[in-house]
Amino acid sequence: MTGTYTRRGFLGLSAAAVAAGLAACTGGGTAPAPAGQGGTTGPASNDLRWFDYESGESLERLKEQIVKFDAQAGTTTTVDSLPGSGAAVYPDKLRTELLGGKGPDVWRIWGGQIGAPFVKAKQAMDLTPYYQKFGWDSRINTEAIEGMTFEGVKAGVPFTARGIGAWYNKALFEKAGITAEPASYAELEEANEKILAAGTTPLGTGGKYGWHIMRLYEYLLETSAGPELHDKLLTGQESWDRPEVVTAFTNFKKWQDKKWIAEGALGLDPTDVEPQYVQGKNAYTIVGQWTEPEQIQTAKKDSADFGVFQLPTGHTPQRHSGFVEGYMINVKSGNPDKSAELIDFIVQPETQKALKVGSSAVAGAEPDPKESPLSYEWSQGPGKQPFYTIQDQAFPKKVADQYFSIQSDLLQGKITPEEAAKQMQAAVSAWAKG
Amino acid sequence: MGTATLEAPAVDSAVVRRRRRRDGGLQAWLFALPALAVYVIFLVYPALTSVWFSFTDWDGLSPTYNVVGLENYIQMPKDPVVIQAMINNIIWTVVTIFFPVVIGLALAMLLNGKVRGKPVLRLIFYAPAVLPLVAIASIWGWLYNPEYGAINAFLRMIGLGSLAQPWLGQDSTALAAVMVPGIWLRVGFPMLLYLAALQGINQEMYEAATVDGATKSQQFWHITMPSLKPAHYIVLALSLIDSFKVFDLIYAMTYGGPGTATQVMGTWMYFNVFQYYQAGYGTAIAVVITVIAIAVSIPYVRSQTKEHAV
Amino acid sequence: MSSSAEVAPVGTLPDAHVAPTEEPSREPKPKGGIGLTIILALVALVWLSPLVLLVTTALRPLSDFVANGALSWPQEWTLQNFADAWGVGNFATTYKNSMFLLILKVPLGVLISAMLAFALAKLRLRFGTAIMFAVFLGLTIPIYITIVPVFVLLRTMGAIDSVPGLVGPYLAFGIPFEVLVLQSFFRQLPDELIEAAKMDGAGPWRIFFTLILPLSTPALVTVFILDAVSTWNEFLFALILLSSDAHKTIPVGLLNFQGQFSNNNTGLAAGILIAVVPILIAYIFLQRWIVGGLTAGATKG
Repeated sequence: MTGTYTRRGFLGLSAAAVAAGLAACTGGGTAPAPAGQGGTTGPASNDLRWFDYESGESLERLKEQIVKFDAQAGTTTTVDSLPGSGAAVYPDKLRTELLGGKGPDVWRIWGGQIGAPFVKAKQAMDLTPYYQKFGWDSRINTEAIEGMTFEGVKAGVPFTARGIGAWYNKALFEKAGITAEPASYAELEEANEKILAAGTTPLGTGGKYGWHIMRLYEYLLETSAGPELHDKLLTGQESWDRPEVVTAFTNFKKWQDKKWIAEGALGLDPTDVEPQYVQGKNAYTIVGQWTEPEQIQTAKKDSADFGVFQLPTGHTPQRHSGFVEGYMINVKSGNPDKSAELIDFIVQPETQKALKVGSSAVAGAEPDPKESPLSYEWSQGPGKQPFYTIQDQAFPKKVADQYFSIQSDLLQGKITPEEAAKQMQAAVSAWAKG
Repeated sequence: MGTATLEAPAVDSAVVRRRRRRDGGLQAWLFALPALAVYVIFLVYPALTSVWFSFTDWDGLSPTYNVVGLENYIQMPKDPVVIQAMINNIIWTVVTIFFPVVIGLALAMLLNGKVRGKPVLRLIFYAPAVLPLVAIASIWGWLYNPEYGAINAFLRMIGLGSLAQPWLGQDSTALAAVMVPGIWLRVGFPMLLYLAALQGINQEMYEAATVDGATKSQQFWHITMPSLKPAHYIVLALSLIDSFKVFDLIYAMTYGGPGTATQVMGTWMYFNVFQYYQAGYGTAIAVVITVIAIAVSIPYVRSQTKEHAV
Repeated sequence: MSSSAEVAPVGTLPDAHVAPTEEPSREPKPKGGIGLTIILALVALVWLSPLVLLVTTALRPLSDFVANGALSWPQEWTLQNFADAWGVGNFATTYKNSMFLLILKVPLGVLISAMLAFALAKLRLRFGTAIMFAVFLGLTIPIYITIVPVFVLLRTMGAIDSVPGLVGPYLAFGIPFEVLVLQSFFRQLPDELIEAAKMDGAGPWRIFFTLILPLSTPALVTVFILDAVSTWNEFLFALILLSSDAHKTIPVGLLNFQGQFSNNNTGLAAGILIAVVPILIAYIFLQRWIVGGLTAGATKG
């Protein structure tokens, strides 16, 4: 027997179960949105609602741009934002709103398995017609679009593709006698030894939520497995119980044993640890270009004192990990056409530049080389290289969490790399089958 | 209520007495109604609706779902994290009831007596409970930092550097590490309740006992403690349930980690409902939490309601 | 448990008397008072010490914090964070909303809970046991799972994204512990007092307002404080049921200090200090009423 979670069905339940007093209580306020699935009723509304997780100045800039759009398109858009806490609380609120029938018209969301549930639950609209209408395929980074394509359905429009690299403190590298950015994994290991000998813990990373320290692991996996195999592993097409994976886990443990990462890194909070390369407590960290404004510039330091390089995998193409963020349209939107227009406006290069998007997926919207020199450097170099989705977005959260448990056990020495590989295979295959 | 009549008073007053004995009647309902109405509408009804979902495979997002009967409940014992969470829950509950209640009682006694500066002290010991959790989690996270944190720095300073370790970063110490702020936060509540309860104790009993030569300790055990029995009941009952339901602090400080080492029922329920899109299963976990907590409260409810059997 | 004292019970009921000031004269002049005070003061200092971090973080510029780390002694001091935090956290609005909720909901909640507690404890409410269990149910349920049904419910009532709309759920979730605590205290009030008042012709309402409530001031104030704190800090429902900036409460406003990739920790610390001040003031003012002051303490036999 299936049940249907419609608002009408819900009300039916309530009428049966609760005293009449409630049913009479419809109160004043906003008119209820159309109940039931799909479709809109009546003429399209020009009142749009945009839901985002921007904060501070960038939120102000976004609002400014949207006001501009409203002026030229004759719409009135309300911008609601739920800042903070990353992918934790925002999807909850979005979910609840969608269930309650009053979801936003457009919402921002991460790609991969964070955005996927909304598509699977048929809450997000298939945007293929709009892709054709506005020509997004030719204006936006192809891989970014793939990050927003779910089982063949283009349900999101990406605006940023954030690549992860190694951001380092030049002074500490010099002090350790490192003259060139490591160009191979072997050189990276050497560099670690030199840095450690000079008295600093090389890599700053924190495993409190699992994903930060995972960035090291997935780089090691890309290095030992190579691009094609890595991709197949991420979709469960190939087994994780294999030598390449064991090598990656072995290396991972090595970093902990050789003290290239802090003891107890597992319990450290990424927000505390990431700035440490700026503070001189670590030599480098694995992070995206947002570190330039958020950590280097907020600490009032000079970008010239820092550098960035792509973690060397020794493969061709040399890839790095990354993730995508973009916009989706509500299937129940009162005005999908205008919503799509609004998105199109936002992903124009001029708007992207005005918004100061640090790693825009839109062609022609590079960061300003004077304001953000390192971000610009990244965008011209590694930023043009292909990327693979970060592991915790490649997998649904449950599988990602299972990985985090394995990672935790491995680094604490409770399981061997071989066992880790086997457990990983068990977790991934269970998901891939389902 | 019975109406007075003029004929056959003996029979009628017996009827009147019977009716008055049964219950407080309409008046009692008038008192009860506002709270009950609000309660049923905004809590009981949503709660029952949620319980319904524990019998489905709803993912928490789609418009449709299937009814799966008891499937979620059957799955639970097979879930290794549930077992771990339950064990953690029990340990957590015992520790975060025992210490706060004992400390809270001690503080209430002391801060009801001959100490100076009581208002300030009462404020200080209660203050942690007033802070938003984001503050608690950040501050204690910094204190526990293995390299730079105050706790390890202090240990090194007093020569116990060998004890300095990554408290939050290893399975063996993570839960215990979170318990410390847990206790720190929870002392205020029993302290307040006991303070209030102490006000209701007849001081003349103490005077009489002192005259009779009873020591302070004897007075404590034979006057204070028994008089506080109702307070003990309510403090323990409420603390038990609150501790058993723990979620916020652990979520904020360790996120259930490292791995799943500090998962408790509350956090595991949250992960399943809100992050794994398994609302049906997660709700089943919530129901289990509720049932256990209610089972524990049965003795308390019995003790309260049997007193007034008329 | 009105007959649990093992010392000889009082034969007749003395009148309620006004309790003396904070140092009751039941014990000989305190000699050890100072020693104990000093020990407690030291314990209190240690107790408070983690909060030093909160204060140092609030008093340093963000650049100093990010450049040196949370546990470093500030190299620069500033009061600017408070002024900035006021804006970033939108405190002008969120204070208004949180205050409104506090002033409306807490006294109302305590009142209706006291009424139900009275009905359960003294008025022999029908189905009392069942209701007690139902009340316990509310205490044991993890509130997270009720969030979606509550959202839909409020949506039906047109009460989404409105501060008064929060009052319903807030009241409901405060009722369990308030009712349980209060009924526990009410049960201890001697039946004889109530019977005496009834003899004088008082109806239950008069008994409630002129006898029960005044005699239970410590319990009422305690419950009031606990409810005020949890209302002020309530986060989940405020998060889900409110959306527009004009309606946010303080805990949701604090999210503004947390960005996608990093937190404005110094602003957050300042914001937290701004947020807790009213509750601390309320607590200082109210806790006097729990002990001594003008409470009329009933004596127990």
